[in-house]
Order: sequence, then C-alpha cells, then structure tokens
Amino acid sequence: MSALHPFSLLAIAAALPAFAWILPAPGGGLATALVALGLTLTPGATPGSRGAGSTPGWRPGFATLRIALVTAAPFWLFLRLLHDGPSTVAIGLRITTMVASCVWLVAVLSPDRLVEAMVARGWSLAIAYLFAATLSAVPVLKARARRIVEAQRCRGLSPRGSVANRLRALRALALPLVLSAVHEVDERTLALETRGLGMGVRRTPLAAPLDRAAERVARWILLLLCLAALIRRLA
Amino acid sequence: MPVRLLALIPVAVAISLALSAAVDAVALPLFLDTTGTILATTLAGPAVGVAVGVLTSAVNTLRNPTFWPFVVVQIIVALYAGLAARAGLFRSLRTAVPAGLGLGVIASLTSTPISYFVFGCTTTGGIALTTALGKALGLPPLGACFVGSFVSDFGDKAVTFALVAAVLHGLPRRTAARFPLALRAMGAT
Repeated sequence: MSALHPFSLLAIAAALPAFAWILPAPGGGLATALVALGLTLTPGATPGSRGAGSTPGWRPGFATLRIALVTAAPFWLFLRLLHDGPSTVAIGLRITTMVASCVWLVAVLSPDRLVEAMVARGWSLAIAYLFAATLSAVPVLKARARRIVEAQRCRGLSPRGSVANRLRALRALALPLVLSAVHEVDERTLALETRGLGMGVRRTPLAAPLDRAAERVARWILLLLCLAALIRRLA
Repeated sequence: MPVRLLALIPVAVAISLALSAAVDAVALPLFLDTTGTILATTLAGPAVGVAVGVLTSAVNTLRNPTFWPFVVVQIIVALYAGLAARAGLFRSLRTAVPAGLGLGVIASLTSTPISYFVFGCTTTGGIALTTALGKALGLPPLGACFVGSFVSDFGDKAVTFALVAAVLHGLPRRTAARFPLALRAMGAT
C-alpha cells in the first residue's frame, strides 16, 4: 500500500469517512469501518513491526490496528453515555472509520514523498515548504517547551496552587517559548531568501513518486462514486 | 506572499501544538491550540492566520482525526482576531481579555453544531461529561452540547488573547515593526 502514489493514499483516506457519513447507517458505517480497519493490517501499515516502535503484547502486524482501536474506544464510551443504542452504533461506526483511515494514512504516507509528489505536480514550492517545515518544526518546539518547563522548575517555579498562581506559572512557561519562536522567524527568512525561495522559480523534484494511469483513473472513480452516493442520498 | 510571512506560518503552527507541554505542566483545563493562529493574525493579518489555522488542524488531524472538522473554528478565530488586531484590542490585558471572552462565545457557537452533528458531542472527555451534566439538568441535546463547548472555549480564548497580548508587548519594537500588523494590534500606531 505504501507504494501507491501519495495522492492515491490521500484519496482513499478521504473517501472512506465521506462514504461513512453519506451511506445509510448502520450498514454503510459498518462496511467503511471494516474496510478502514482492514487497511491498517495491510503491508506497509505496520510501524510497530520494526525496532523501537514495536508493541509488546500485540503481533507486529496489529500495531496500527491497535492504535486505531485505542483512539476510537473513548468515543464509543462517551457516545453510550450520551445517546441511545442505535445512535451510538451509527455515530460510533462513522467515527471509527474516520479514526482508522487517518491512523492508516499516517502509517503509510511519508511526508517526503508527499512533498515530492506536490512539487512534481507543479504545486508552488512555498506550499511544499509549508508542509515540510511544519512537520519538522513541531517536534523541535515541543522539545524546547519541555526544556523550558524543566528549566523554570529548576529556578523554583511552582505550577500548583490557586488558579491565579497557575496562570502566572503558565505565563512564565509560555512566553519564553513563543518569543524565542518568533525570533526564529528572522533566521528562517534569511535561510529561505538565501535559497531563492522568494524568486518564484520552479524546483525540479529529485525522486518524484510514480503516478500510474490506473491510479489516476481510480482516484477519479472514487470522487465520482462519492458524488453519486451523495446525490442518491439527498434525492 | 513575502518570505518573512511564509517563514512565520510553520513557526506559528508549531507554537499552537507545543504549548500543550506548558498547559500540562500547570494542569489547567485549557487547550491554547489557537495561540499560533491568533499570534500570526496579529502579526501578519487574517490571511496568514487562516493559513496557520488550516495547517494547525491538518497537523493535529495526524494525531487525532477528530480535529479536522473543527478547521472552521480556526478560520473564524483568525477572522475575529484580525478584526480585534485592527481595532488595537491587544494594546493591554484590559482590552484583550474581554475580546477573548467574546471570541469564546463565538467559537463555542461555531463548534457546537460540528460537535453535535458529527461526533454526538463526544470530542473530548470533558465536553462529553459537561454535556451529560447539561442533559441531566434537563437541557435539550443541542443546548447541553453548547454548554460543553462553552465551558471549554470561554476561558481558553480569554487566556489565549491575554497570552498573545503579552507576547506582542514582550517583542522588541524593532522585531514587531518587521511584521505588517503588529504595531497596530498593540495600539502603537
């Protein structure tokens, strides 16, 4: 599955939740949930099967399925608390489809391949940069946030007590993080200008993913099926 | 789009997602997941804020797929913050906090239909429990769902606005002047 073109993976992950909401419940939701959960068992969707990410107590091939089930389970609990049986099943199956599709997509889609595919398709380099830079900036800033929390604790900051005390502590933790991040914009701007990003030139992709004709046709068929199902449901 | 604003977008998204570590440390019922959207809007205008909001939802969706339908809320937040910045409401905490409370009402009004019709009011444990409490008090389902969204959004947006105001005033004037809207949002022009 991970060998499919990134746009095909995105199309499948978007189509399944769309079908789950469009098709009549509970049959439609059950079918899409089974397909989505089945996808998590396909080759390439098993991040836990290699090295450090392996999950004790679960066979490697079930790691992605486990993540999907653990993510979806609380929704079933809350739905049961708030709704009757049929509504719980209908909404729960739709949410399960959405969760499983997304978990599967994260497991099989490589951000690098997606950026290469976007550049190859003629998307602006700026848009490709936004995706790639965001995905790399989030873990960096999260690590910095943890360091600031530890540093402020070492200096005697107490994040407990009254709400006012906690809000003061929050200010002492959040301000250094946000201010340092805003100052970083200058460095990033300089780096981007040095690399000619502002000149509007088109980048040549180094390893554009193969987009077979059959996949392109399949993506259009998926879109048409969604539209047909929607029209039939509304009619 | 100028390169400086392009460089700001990923940083603002990362701010929204990284602040959860600070929130966890103080154990307050806050999200602060619109901080980057509001900050980017006050610095560079609503178009950049909308881009940050959409990208924040997209990246958050990779962690929890239920975030994507709430992209509408991020867009509303960016537009509202744009109006607040143009009115100079980030000039002090006295003006920023009431503006944030106003956004809390608007955000909960926007998120309630999404939460109710898409997720049956089960987006987070806190919202589900508050909704159950509202139902137990005899509120209609949509009203109970609004109570859940309101409780989570009202204080969160006020704190977020206050934090962004503090950040703007903490920036050196030279740095703030490099962004098109920052000085106006602070009421300095």
